[in-house]
Amino acid sequence: MDYLQLGSYTFSSRLILGTGKFSNATVMLEAVRASGAQLVTVALRRFNREQLADDLFSPLRALPGITLMPNTSGASTAAEAVRAAQIARELSGSPFIKVEIHPNPQHLMPDPIETFEACRILAKEGFLVMPYIAADPVLAKRLEEVGCTSVMPLGSAIGSGQGLATAEMLNIIIRESNIPVIVDAGLRSPSEAALAMEMGCGAVLVNSAIAVSDNPPAMAGAFAGAVDAGRKAFKAGLMPKSSFAIATSPLTAFLGAKV
Amino acid sequence: MITLELNGKQQIVPPGSAVTDLLSIIGSVDNNVAVVINDRIIRPDKRSTHQLQEGDRVEILIFAGGG
Repeated sequence: MDYLQLGSYTFSSRLILGTGKFSNATVMLEAVRASGAQLVTVALRRFNREQLADDLFSPLRALPGITLMPNTSGASTAAEAVRAAQIARELSGSPFIKVEIHPNPQHLMPDPIETFEACRILAKEGFLVMPYIAADPVLAKRLEEVGCTSVMPLGSAIGSGQGLATAEMLNIIIRESNIPVIVDAGLRSPSEAALAMEMGCGAVLVNSAIAVSDNPPAMAGAFAGAVDAGRKAFKAGLMPKSSFAIATSPLTAFLGAKV
Repeated sequence: MITLELNGKQQIVPPGSAVTDLLSIIGSVDNNVAVVINDRIIRPDKRSTHQLQEGDRVEILIFAGGG
C-alpha cells in the first residue's frame, strides 16, 4: 500500500479536509465520510451557550478512523500560536497541529517569522507540526530543519479558488523537501488537486472548494477520486514533455507505399 | 456570590463552586471543552476539585469548524 507517513501516523487517504464554512454539521460529516479523509482540521474557539451547534468535537469523535488536526487560526504571534496549540492538544489528544499565523485578514498571508518561531518551539515540545506557509522554498527548508512533520505551502490565497498560482515555487519545494509537501489553500477544482498530486505533493488540504459547493458530499467524493488519480499518476511516472511531435503509429509501410 | 471573567464576560457563581459546577451552570459538556483559568490549563480530572476564586479569568474553549 501507498501510505502517507506523518510522524508515527500512517494514512491511506491523501486528502485532508477542513471543516469550516459548511452550512451545518450534518453536511460537514457527510462530506468527511464521502472524502475518505482520515485527518481533519478544526479551530479552537470560545464556548458560546447561544451557539451550541458550533461544537464539532462530539460528532467528529464519533466518526471512526478520524484524527484531528487543530489549527492555530486567530493567532497573530508565535506566542499565541504556541498557547493555542497547547490548549488544543489537551482537548484533542492529537499530536498534530496546523500552525497558521496570519495577522492580516485582508489577504490571510502567513507570517513567516512568527510561523518559524512557533514551529521551532512546538517541534521541541513533541507536536507533529504542520505549518501553513507561503510557497517559499527557503522557509520550507528551514522548517524541515527545525523538525516540522510536513510543510503546507499555499496554492493561492485562502478561500480564493485561484488554484495552483504558486506552481513554480511548489515544484522547487517538492524537489528539495525530505518531508511531505501538502498544498493547503486556494484549490477550487478536483483537477487542481490531481495536478498537485501529479507534481509530487504528499497530500492536499481542501476546505472551501468542498464546503461552499452546491453538494459538499458529492464534491468531497470528486476530490477524493482526483487525489487518488493524481497520486497514482505520480507513482506511475509521467512521460517526458517534447516540443515536437513523436508519432505513435509507424510512419512507414502504409498501404500502397512505394518500397 | 463571586464574580469571574468568563470568555471575556462577567459571570457570577456561588462561593465554593468548582470548575465542574461552572460547566453545568453554562450548559457545556465536560469532556468537550478545554478549560483555562488564569492562563493555566485545568485538566478534566482536576475540574471537580478546582475551586473558583473571585476575579478568576476563565476561558472555556471548544473545537469549531476551521480549515
